[in-house]
Amino acid sequence: MRLEKCWFCSSTVYPGHGIKFVRNDAKIFRFCRSKCHKNFKMKRNPCKVKWTKAYRRLHGKDMTQDSTFEFERKRNRPERYDRNLAENTLKAIKKIDKIRSDRASDHIKNRLKTGKVQRQKEARKQLELGIHLVKASLALAQDSSLCLPKIKVNVSQAQTEENQPMEE
Amino acid sequence: MGGKCPSRKVKKRRFSHKTARRDKFLLKGDDLVYDELQKSDTEKKPLPRDEDLPGMGQYYCLHCDRYFANATVRDEHFKTKRHKKRLKQMSGPAPHTQLDAELAAGMGMPDNGPALMSM
Repeated sequence: MRLEKCWFCSSTVYPGHGIKFVRNDAKIFRFCRSKCHKNFKMKRNPCKVKWTKAYRRLHGKDMTQDSTFEFERKRNRPERYDRNLAENTLKAIKKIDKIRSDRASDHIKNRLKTGKVQRQKEARKQLELGIHLVKASLALAQDSSLCLPKIKVNVSQAQTEENQPMEE
Repeated sequence: MGGKCPSRKVKKRRFSHKTARRDKFLLKGDDLVYDELQKSDTEKKPLPRDEDLPGMGQYYCLHCDRYFANATVRDEHFKTKRHKKRLKQMSGPAPHTQLDAELAAGMGMPDNGPALMSM
């Protein structure tokens, strides 16, 4: 038994679901449901259909590069059955899946954050355009017209002595 | 599949024609055409003579997977909008494959195990 991915939307096709189409050149196309099958017959390009995984990856809506993606691979060479390996794999699948889904939801959350990123972008652009208006801090300190002059106030000894009788 | 046959004389209950269905099935898919186009000129084989095809199968448009009666008809076809659209489509990115679908789903590259025989 194998859990395949749908050719059109990339969702998992479980046993008992979907249609498998074998073309003239022996290429197999698996579809998870009739929606994907009908879209294929209409010759629609999955990379242009908004709800497919192919579109979402291509347009940066979903996470594209992550180390957790290397764990799930299609194995074309059969593995000898080993009970320990099978047990460990099942535990690992659960853990890796949780990590991956957490990272994916974080990615989407960051993408949907309004304002902050846009403001940063705008600020960056404004700085690039108006760099000639900004003066270096050294030049600012030396130029007397731009900053207030520093006034030194002397605290004399006579004044402190006068305060003492008042405090008593 | 298909609607009613418009000819009044066709009395069979099967509505769509068998030949139409077969021809649709025999057409090459987009990714096959794309693969053939990527092949270099040295690998291209001469077209086999086939009496059933128009023009003995000699005048062929690779992009549209169509046979023509002679070279002039084929050259006229090259000027059509449909053919130009196909040209534009084939010069773009590679068509979607099962591998693309699996990568989009979040799988890694397929594991074919260690190489059995060193060629």
